[in-house]
Amino acid sequence: MSDVMLDLDAVDKFYGRIDEGVHAVRRVSMKVMRGEIIALLGSSGCGKTSTLRMVAGFEAVSRGKISIGGREIHTLPPVQRNVAMAFEGYSLYPTVTVRDNIAFALKSSAHSAADVAAKVEEIAAMLEISAILDKYPSSISGGQQQRASLARALIRDADLYLLDEPMGQLEPQLRTLLRGRIKAYIKERGLTAILVTHDQTEANALADRIAVMEDGELQQFASPEDIKKSPANLFTGTFVGEPPMNVFPARATISDTTVSFQLRGDVELSYAADAFSSALRARLIQMGEVVLGVRPYAVQRRETGSPATVVANQWLGDQSHIAATFAGGSLVLVEHHRTQLVEDQKIAVHLEPSDIHIFYPETGMAISHGARLVG
Amino acid sequence: MSLELTDLSKSFKEDKVLDGVSLHVPEGKTLVLFGPSGAGKTVLLRLIAGVIEPDNGQIKISGVDVDGVEPEDRNIGMAFQNFALFPHMDAHANIAAPLTAQRQDKSAIQSGVQTLAKLLKIDHVLGHKPKELSNGQKQRTALARALAGKPKILLLDDPLRNVDAKLRFEMRLELPRLLSDQNATVIYVTQDYKEAMAFGDEIAVINDGIVQQIGIPEQIYLTPANVDIARLFGDPVINFLDVRLQKDAAGVFALISAKRVDLDASYSHAVGKDCTLGIRPESVLFVSQDHESAVPVTVEAETPLNEKTVNLCLTARGREIMASRPSGTDGPENGPAFVTIEAANALIFDKETGALIEPYKTTAKGKVA
Repeated sequence: MSDVMLDLDAVDKFYGRIDEGVHAVRRVSMKVMRGEIIALLGSSGCGKTSTLRMVAGFEAVSRGKISIGGREIHTLPPVQRNVAMAFEGYSLYPTVTVRDNIAFALKSSAHSAADVAAKVEEIAAMLEISAILDKYPSSISGGQQQRASLARALIRDADLYLLDEPMGQLEPQLRTLLRGRIKAYIKERGLTAILVTHDQTEANALADRIAVMEDGELQQFASPEDIKKSPANLFTGTFVGEPPMNVFPARATISDTTVSFQLRGDVELSYAADAFSSALRARLIQMGEVVLGVRPYAVQRRETGSPATVVANQWLGDQSHIAATFAGGSLVLVEHHRTQLVEDQKIAVHLEPSDIHIFYPETGMAISHGARLVG
Repeated sequence: MSLELTDLSKSFKEDKVLDGVSLHVPEGKTLVLFGPSGAGKTVLLRLIAGVIEPDNGQIKISGVDVDGVEPEDRNIGMAFQNFALFPHMDAHANIAAPLTAQRQDKSAIQSGVQTLAKLLKIDHVLGHKPKELSNGQKQRTALARALAGKPKILLLDDPLRNVDAKLRFEMRLELPRLLSDQNATVIYVTQDYKEAMAFGDEIAVINDGIVQQIGIPEQIYLTPANVDIARLFGDPVINFLDVRLQKDAAGVFALISAKRVDLDASYSHAVGKDCTLGIRPESVLFVSQDHESAVPVTVEAETPLNEKTVNLCLTARGREIMASRPSGTDGPENGPAFVTIEAANALIFDKETGALIEPYKTTAKGKVA
């Protein structure tokens, strides 16, 4: 574990008095490895920004410990933590040009003037701000200021790079373009970065691992692929993924030969028992009531299957999003081609056992993914 | 009611915000106004609403010129970015306001408000005053109020801007149906191309105060009038490669990293021209072996994107090419690989002007009467 760059150990944040005030971050523990990019993802008020601000030193830690590179830092002032930051409102120096703002971050260290100049040009080109390097912060747009601030953070030599919604002000097309470049820049240099975002597309595109937060708690900390394939609970399952995962309450019935799920609206999904692991079948026998989750791209249209009725079909250029009524609720399918389905059309859908996630109805915790018991 | 705008212009001091905008929205249809910030979209809505007056041009509602008609007499429902809610009234009373004004009875008001609040997922905050609502909730309350009175013309200025991805998706499915059920004539402003494609019977792309293209969503996506529009539609962004069209006995082609991309013979009028080849990431395909059209690349990174997986590739000269494929399908490892370009889906633009070069056989162009 010598390669842990950032270690949060049971960190709590209360606004107001400990145990009495607003409990914004609840016993969050996570270890970030050297060279990793981590995204803190969640909706507003989930605790992600408070967590980042505690690492930066802008907020006091109420309880728990934070270490960077093995050194406990949570009582140190921000300047002693050796972190580079791009924060909203962490503004540029108004009296010098964008070029000098960025270069300033390097000047105090051991780089020659030519080296600094070249590095500034390189990062400016990457972030598409070469044309404004000689302007002053007050004369550039909010999006340009944000990129200048990001450049200033990324150009530094630091143990850890903290980026708070670094592309929040940018137009969608620019954001898409820069995502890949920023990731490549960070990876080439082996930097360790923590990114706060509410945009799951950005989190998926940039991060090695995503920390999904809700109500101050860490819901899941895993790679984008793992979160997609094995969501820890219903919250993660339905929050991450666009369009969101389809969920249906169901009653499981297990016999020696079949596994079947009774959904609302008289829909029954029935499968050969051996499509599900024996451990999962044993669990389902105890359970009865469960919640099923299926990703939109995994819903298959077939000649025969469970009945659904099309409500809407939206063609987005490279994919169709089809909404249907199904099992007393709604169902969304994604197909990567244009479909001619129209409103009120009857379709038949099939869900493969390997695509079904099963959750506990009370706690929302995952029971199984792909017909295999969790853990 | 139909809406017809003819040659509208508007300047603020020296700044010409709209320059000769003409648009037609038939009764019951939705026109999406799409474009970057500062394009003039919001000003256009304010002209239609009657909040400001045009310097030039004409606005007709159901064939009648509304010049001089007061905003409140235009029978238009609006949800604007900064369209203030009544601060002293809770969300319920705000939404009910148009119904109360129409003197509807209590139970009709009650059910009207509930239905909309439920649809827009604000039924749990109906008792809250505007200052107790988040930005997204305020926006949806304003939207519900605009919809409540079932106005014949609706102007909606990016009403889902502050809404998170999950809810935005649900709204994208449900709102178009509601609007068509109400038979409202709608102008809908957005910067989200997916929303534009889902909502619009037609899309008008506006930039620098000028309408650059009007068409059905498919037309805008498949034949964008210029490189700017091509760049605005699609995620990941379309790839652009500088090429010169050439011709030999086998036909018209372009070279990318010295590999041949065969193009339709109907591009022969552009042979010799410096062009920009636009190819969407979903039309860049990995192939296992080198051949005469296989472009050698280095795969730099792989990233999941919603229901897709995206690979960032670099050509030998360091040009970026993005390739995307459906989630769950096989892709390359990072390192050397070969890609081919689906030439049938390639777009050719004039490098100098950025305008789309259409193959000769194409007939009707983007404009719709």
